[in-house]
Amino acid sequence: MDVIANLLNGFMVALQPYHLLMVTIGGILGTIVGMLPGLGPATGVAVLLPITFSMGPTAALITMTGVYYGAMFGGSRSSILINTPGDGAALAATFDGYPMAMKGKAESALAISAIASFIGGTIAAVFMVALATPVARFALKFGPAEYFLLMVAALSMTASMSKNNVLKGFISMILGLMIGTVGIDAQSGIERFTFGVLELQTGIDFLIVIIGIYALGEVFKSYKVINEGTKKAQTKFGKIWITKEEWKKSKWPILRSAPLGFIIGALPGAGGTMASLMAYNNEKQMSKNPEEFGEGAIEGLAAPESANNAASVGALIPMLTLGIPGSGTTAVMMGALLMLGIQPGPLLFTQNPDIAWGLIASMFIGNIILAVINIPLAGILVRVLSIPPKILYPIVLALAFVGTYAISNSVIDFYLLILFGILGYFMTNLKIPTAPMILAAIVGGTMEQSFRQAIKIANGSMNIFYGSTLAICLITITIISIVYPMIKEYIKKEKITA
Amino acid sequence: MAIKKKIIALGLAVSLVGAGLLTGCGSKDTQTAKEEPTEKYPKKAMEFIAPGGAGGGWDLTIRTTAKILKDTNLVSVPMPITNKSGGGGGINLAYMQTKKGSDSLISVYSPPLLLINLNGSTELSYKDTTPLARLITDYGVFVVPKDSKYTSISEVMEALKTDPKSVKIGGNSSAGSMDHIQFLMVAKAAGVENIKDIDYISFQDGTATAQILGGHVDLLSTGLGDVEQLLASGELKALAQTADKHVGQGVLAEIPTVKEQGIDVTFENWRGLFAAPEMPDHAVKYWRETLAKMVETKEWDEACKKNGWDKAYLDQEEFENFLGTANDQYKGILEEIGMAKK
Repeated sequence: MDVIANLLNGFMVALQPYHLLMVTIGGILGTIVGMLPGLGPATGVAVLLPITFSMGPTAALITMTGVYYGAMFGGSRSSILINTPGDGAALAATFDGYPMAMKGKAESALAISAIASFIGGTIAAVFMVALATPVARFALKFGPAEYFLLMVAALSMTASMSKNNVLKGFISMILGLMIGTVGIDAQSGIERFTFGVLELQTGIDFLIVIIGIYALGEVFKSYKVINEGTKKAQTKFGKIWITKEEWKKSKWPILRSAPLGFIIGALPGAGGTMASLMAYNNEKQMSKNPEEFGEGAIEGLAAPESANNAASVGALIPMLTLGIPGSGTTAVMMGALLMLGIQPGPLLFTQNPDIAWGLIASMFIGNIILAVINIPLAGILVRVLSIPPKILYPIVLALAFVGTYAISNSVIDFYLLILFGILGYFMTNLKIPTAPMILAAIVGGTMEQSFRQAIKIANGSMNIFYGSTLAICLITITIISIVYPMIKEYIKKEKITA
Repeated sequence: MAIKKKIIALGLAVSLVGAGLLTGCGSKDTQTAKEEPTEKYPKKAMEFIAPGGAGGGWDLTIRTTAKILKDTNLVSVPMPITNKSGGGGGINLAYMQTKKGSDSLISVYSPPLLLINLNGSTELSYKDTTPLARLITDYGVFVVPKDSKYTSISEVMEALKTDPKSVKIGGNSSAGSMDHIQFLMVAKAAGVENIKDIDYISFQDGTATAQILGGHVDLLSTGLGDVEQLLASGELKALAQTADKHVGQGVLAEIPTVKEQGIDVTFENWRGLFAAPEMPDHAVKYWRETLAKMVETKEWDEACKKNGWDKAYLDQEEFENFLGTANDQYKGILEEIGMAKK
């Protein structure tokens, strides 16, 4: 009963007109920031940080979470419309979202993205109220060995689900792993592949890889069609909503992906990208028509969108309950809280119940407000598709460069951007999937570090990788995820021949 | 066509808002500050730089400093803050060299300034800046899970003496940086031989705290303020901290020092201000005097209390001596573990 009383109290805080206004403004700003390539939730919160210094801690935290969710809602807009994810978590939205837009179904794509985000976020907020502490405890069971196995599972799922050619999927993954090795190695302090360039010491930001491969790659790819004038802009637009049939297809993927996203999000360091990709792979494997995935299947967009927002809620758990930032965004938020004199951690809920429960209540309210903002906003945004490609693509190009510069104000990043753009172009031409490379570039560095951390802890013994129940579960999941599609394929063939 | 125009306008608006957001954080202070110079120097806006990202320790220190200087009217020119992160502070250090002789650039640094030079990440050292003053220090703390068999830092050291692989040390900085060095300094002073063989496991994004809570490493070497709540709630217990006295309030004040346990060493995570190399004398004089006044204000007192900082003001000359001593100390440790540049 305490929980309900506290939550009601939280709603009293969150529903104060000033806080409502702040979560709305934060949500709108976040949506805009999230749409721009390269500017994800972490940058969004960091950029708007100074504004919150003049507010009270509660208002500051509520504004920041507004920006955070807004960026999560907004991140997939550009994935769907121009094949350019705003951040890592919106990557999976390109797989089926962009094909949908190309097939003239941009309206449904934008609508389902907002609806799935809303449902995923809300389910996760309910979980948070009920399960924050046990989930935080569970997340602590993940040592370096378990993290390593989790990442292996995510990577092998993504690589093995590659359309047509598994070998090409693994080539792509290896490229990503190579990118992940650049920079100072944390375990030994030794520089790797930096070629004496100071800027490379911190490694290559995966956002540059994403913007290069997707935004620039898309522009290069479209150059031919644009030049010939064969690519026509869309002129007629329908209502931003989905049909009953589309809802029927998306319903279960949304509901299944929310808990998955929530748990992955709650693991410090795992995050939204992994959650959304795992949800996508999961749905593809469960689907009766996996061949439709990647060609504009609505469930292939609904699942990662739901998981990604659920993960953003889950990521707040380690920060609020243990004082550990679980992601780049929550690290920035934690810095801001410290500056406001609030120490997040196990005592937050008892020492500052107003702040903690006000924040949780504002998640519910923020989700509703963002869904309400995003549906009409999508009606305007979808008209991006009516811009003639000759004008649209130069704008995309400009945004790509601005976004890249915003990451670390470094000119070196421009060279990398162009390099990855060219790489993306050739990969598309050679039909090598890019998703495994991106995921590997994101988790590769951590995966390698986790492996070496585990080995160091175990004094060089490999036993640590099957030393816990959790580790064995993760190994089983990996094996099933690789073998199951093969078995399914085999049974299908048997049926046909029989 | 009308619709198309609208779209283009929207596109432009979006990018403008984006650009506005990016520059917004820098220019905000400019608008609010008073623009009447009270004396000859400084006449124009200062350039305050945090060599790391927003929300980090360097960022917090320089923002707090700028805010107090403004609030107390000690400085009347605008002091916009920019974040120039990368290379563990090395990017900004390289940038400072391009501003040689400037009277308007001030940045903040802490031990990594010395470490990135000693381990060979950058050729530049603290000697390529103009140290102005040390402002504060944090201290290191060594914590273990609540059910750990260790109850004091000397027990840990005894275990390491018998087998350097028996205690796994976790931290949030990379090998050869702060969390690693502060532990090795204590181990060395305690008489552990072969400190090179001690396993230090580096975790990213602050996740080392989760690893110690889960019992995946045996001991966490971290900053004193970072685990306050977990100590207060009894999830973790602190074996020792690296100051030469008890610091802070509540649970923090109860933590014994390393010295009290018979190991004669301290480790300070100091933070100080550094200007561009060859800052003109009149500017150096101005900032030394201003900072000396600032650390006496009650606003500074409150900020230190709020952030759990220990006031540790040192004027330029003493600060430079201190930097020299610290540099030699870190160098000794890095050499012993084979991480000093050849």
